[in-house]
Amino acid sequence: MAVCASGSPSQLSILLEVPSRPAPPVNPSPVALSFRDVTHRYGQRTALDRLDLVVRQGEVVALLGPNGAGKSTTISVLLGLIRPQEGRVEVLGSDPRRAVADGRVGAMLQSGSGVGLPPGVRVDQALRLVRRLYRRPAAFDWIVERADIGGLLRRRTDKLSGGQAQRVRFAISIAGDPEVVFLDEPTSAMDVESRHGFWRMMRAFGDEGRTVLVATHHLAEADQIADRVIVLNHGRVAADGPGATLKAAVATRRLRFVTDQADQQVLSELEGVTEVAICGTGVSIDSLDADATIRDLVGRGVRFRDLEITGAGLEQAFVALTGCGVARPPAEAKAGAEGGTR
Amino acid sequence: MTRPPVDAALLEMEPAAPYPAPEHPAPGHPAPEPPAAAGWRASVGPLLAFGGFEVGRLLRSWKFLAITIGFPVIFYLLFLGDHTAGRIIGGTVPWRVYLMVSMCSFGALVAALNAGGTRLSMERASGWARQLRVTPIPAWSYVGTKIVASMLVVLPVILLVEVVGAGFGGVRLAAPVWLGVTLLSWATALPFAVLGVFIGFLVSTEAAFPVVTGLMFVLGYLGGLFTPVSLMPGPLQVIAHILPSYHVDALAVAVIDGRMLAPADWLVLGGYVVALGLAIVWKHRVEEARGIA
Repeated sequence: MAVCASGSPSQLSILLEVPSRPAPPVNPSPVALSFRDVTHRYGQRTALDRLDLVVRQGEVVALLGPNGAGKSTTISVLLGLIRPQEGRVEVLGSDPRRAVADGRVGAMLQSGSGVGLPPGVRVDQALRLVRRLYRRPAAFDWIVERADIGGLLRRRTDKLSGGQAQRVRFAISIAGDPEVVFLDEPTSAMDVESRHGFWRMMRAFGDEGRTVLVATHHLAEADQIADRVIVLNHGRVAADGPGATLKAAVATRRLRFVTDQADQQVLSELEGVTEVAICGTGVSIDSLDADATIRDLVGRGVRFRDLEITGAGLEQAFVALTGCGVARPPAEAKAGAEGGTR
Repeated sequence: MTRPPVDAALLEMEPAAPYPAPEHPAPGHPAPEPPAAAGWRASVGPLLAFGGFEVGRLLRSWKFLAITIGFPVIFYLLFLGDHTAGRIIGGTVPWRVYLMVSMCSFGALVAALNAGGTRLSMERASGWARQLRVTPIPAWSYVGTKIVASMLVVLPVILLVEVVGAGFGGVRLAAPVWLGVTLLSWATALPFAVLGVFIGFLVSTEAAFPVVTGLMFVLGYLGGLFTPVSLMPGPLQVIAHILPSYHVDALAVAVIDGRMLAPADWLVLGGYVVALGLAIVWKHRVEEARGIA
């Protein structure tokens, strides 16, 4: 299977084996999402750079990429929250806002400072409200079963653990019985175990013929559930193909070095970084763009020694996730274990 | 494409659990058609549900109730004894009546600011407001419902202050005057309701509480709700005249006094509503352009 890619040559050289698109299937399903030449800038920063993308109905797509690659902007555009400055975006054959207004789309966005749920109500009350905002909601019990929140219905929304809150938010995102679901970093507040449960839930959802687009930075897990993996970098598609093919092609490099300034926050903000693991003074970083990461590292004045760069397999990345001293993003560390309370 | 069963009665209240097990149609089962032009129920139903949800949340929050009921009632009882009962304000209005009317306005102010304010700021920071924006309800309905919910919780606060005024302050008014005071205090809470929502839009979660609390007392005191503006030093009187709370109070006293309601007062209050409403729209536009709405 070929890996389709576009983007600057520096990214392409390591990604591309065969530069042609796969032959179209005999009976392709209708287009669910399409980006045509879409550009969007926030001031000077280009978030989407002439993005072209087509997702067909029934596909489960993982959208990968480092922070700032354009994943969240892509989802905001698909939801009509942002109108791109150039280009054309369609969701289910219409304007994104139309699709949202018709209740054909569901979304689980990144939560900010809280859990993204209304405080002071029970889970079932929040879910019943959201159902009533749709003309044709999914049946209550169906949602509860799908999101596995049967045991949480009588709990107050502000008394949930990180993983539990994410399941409730997933329930809310499917309350309108959507044809397309967007999930922006849905597993960011979860430990590894609950993440697996969550991916299974989404996979099952996709198996019903619904279109699922998940933005994530967990490469290994995205690979397991998605039919297709799209890697974004600098607002463009850096790679696009079935998970298995990408596995071999994705240009992840692992950087190891020793430093006395092992600051999780700083390291995870470096350009191209997807994972950071710290063991004492030893640091292991996975990057989609090793050159840029090192330039950034030097630029920020982090002193390091014994630098070693290797190709990082997805399995390796997964071992690192569960291994020693895995430094998770702040939201994850805060959430703690699935069963616990905040 | 498989679809779960769809509820027919959209506006029906949900029965409590347990629910009968849903039947999942076989794959390929055609999706049920949406009810053709379901009329006003289709568009108003969700907004009623959302409004009811908001009012319910406010009335279940003991913090909100303690502040909105506690402040005006306690201040009424406190200041009632602080002044001599026979003191006359503005010619014909006894202090206990003036104070009751002022505390109605203060209660409306406190309820309206707190219903928006911190709560709204938190909701926006947590992503709940954003989540609602990706449901079918239109973008304006979030703000609209918040303002309506604020107005709805203002009314019981006004009625409570009036009950306390009649019970503890010995306020006796003719029935039309009671009705007039109530309706006027209620209607004039609108600028404060819009202000509360605006603060929720403008201010960070950490800052919202001090801002709301500060505004409560600045608007309350300088607007003459605690001490008549005519008894204030000159410079403060000037400030009072630009505050909405002063004009609210002026209208209320006019009702008690049986005087004409001055159009200037209405104009100022209307101006606040329009200006704050436009400010909310502006803030929303800015956020939308920056992709953080």
